[in-house]
Amino acid sequence: MTYLATFHTHFGAMRFLKQCLKESISAKMMPVPRELSASCGVCVRLESVCAPSVPEHEDMERCYIMTSNGAYVPLGG
Amino acid sequence: MKQKIGVAIAGLIVGLVAVCLGVFGNPANMALCIACFIRDTAGALGLHQAEAVQYIRPEIIGIVLGAFIIGLLKKDHAPKGGSSPFTRFVLGICVMVGALIFLGCPLRMVLRMAGGDLNAVIGLVGFIGGILTGIVFLNRGFSLKRSYEQPASEGAGLPVVNLLLLVLVIAAPAFVLFSGSGPGSLHAPLLLSLAGGLIVGGAAQRSRLCFIGGVRDAVLFKDFHMLMPFAVILVTVLIGNLITGKFAVGFADQPIAHTEWIWNILGLYLVGFGSVLLGGCPLRQLVLAGSGNSDSGVTVWGFFVGAAICHNFGLASSGAGVTPNGRIAFAICAALVFLIAVFNTKKLSQKQGVSP
Repeated sequence: MTYLATFHTHFGAMRFLKQCLKESISAKMMPVPRELSASCGVCVRLESVCAPSVPEHEDMERCYIMTSNGAYVPLGG
Repeated sequence: MKQKIGVAIAGLIVGLVAVCLGVFGNPANMALCIACFIRDTAGALGLHQAEAVQYIRPEIIGIVLGAFIIGLLKKDHAPKGGSSPFTRFVLGICVMVGALIFLGCPLRMVLRMAGGDLNAVIGLVGFIGGILTGIVFLNRGFSLKRSYEQPASEGAGLPVVNLLLLVLVIAAPAFVLFSGSGPGSLHAPLLLSLAGGLIVGGAAQRSRLCFIGGVRDAVLFKDFHMLMPFAVILVTVLIGNLITGKFAVGFADQPIAHTEWIWNILGLYLVGFGSVLLGGCPLRQLVLAGSGNSDSGVTVWGFFVGAAICHNFGLASSGAGVTPNGRIAFAICAALVFLIAVFNTKKLSQKQGVSP
């Protein structure tokens, strides 16, 4: 599955990306898509069999699952 | 593709507004400048006494209110703040000092380039250098910490202040100072300036137009689409200047500019470096403040105080060049920005897991 995690800070996104790569999860950092935020922050797009654990990342703002038609559905409602 | 077209249209809108405001009376190569217009507004409120640069610029009011209105309409308005406000205030002052050494914000840099001012092309080197320096710190773990949800009153702060400024510029009471000569006396009709600002604010809010973000995304992610508005504004205003006969290539005798190339580079270096740490260029700070971000609101107050300091203490450059005080101020501000970058950079190696 493809997930997209947004963060409160650039630092949080970088730390998350580093940890993804350390755990051999395919991930990359990119600008937050406009449809998700009016801010100009960064997000991490990752391929994973299960959703990333949100509570462990204090800087994570929200996590979305990317559907086959390119839409972003927020995890946890 | 939709996003690329959106930012290109935003660039076109900003370019057309700039051409229009220039034709209807704004100073040459200064139809839209966030730093200069905040400086003029600060002067009109008596924060400094430089008589040539005092006018409450409706463009600034329009940009904040345009972003505010479009944010409410599109449900993008999100009051938040609390991310190192004092540090942002200081960075705002430093960015303004850099801008007034160069004589313009990044937006005016583009307008000056489009007018044939080669000093601005030289300044671009410093601007990019400053952004790259900031990116080095971002990559090493720089952060001003996260922001938090705030009450609606926090998010409405700067828009309300700008409504009051609108009342003042319309009523023009005796205590508001308006230049009788100089750049402050040159302005388009009030309603046109206000409309231009509203349009730019709305377009910039929807497109996230930012002169810092464009270079940042290009360097960090090889994503070049946010550079498009930069190019579109340049071309649009260039064509406008050619049509209206305002294009003159050269270094000397450019409107409201000096030829001290090293200070053009250093001034914009400070703007680029400080703006990366702030997370956006001066235009973006106004738009974010209009969209409810009180940290950006504090930054805008930093711009106001920085402008007042520049003119009260003789730091601002003029057509004659950079002042001795301006050179000292640059050294102090560059050191401050560097120290802020160093002391807010932490290691990325803190252990945490990803998988549940």
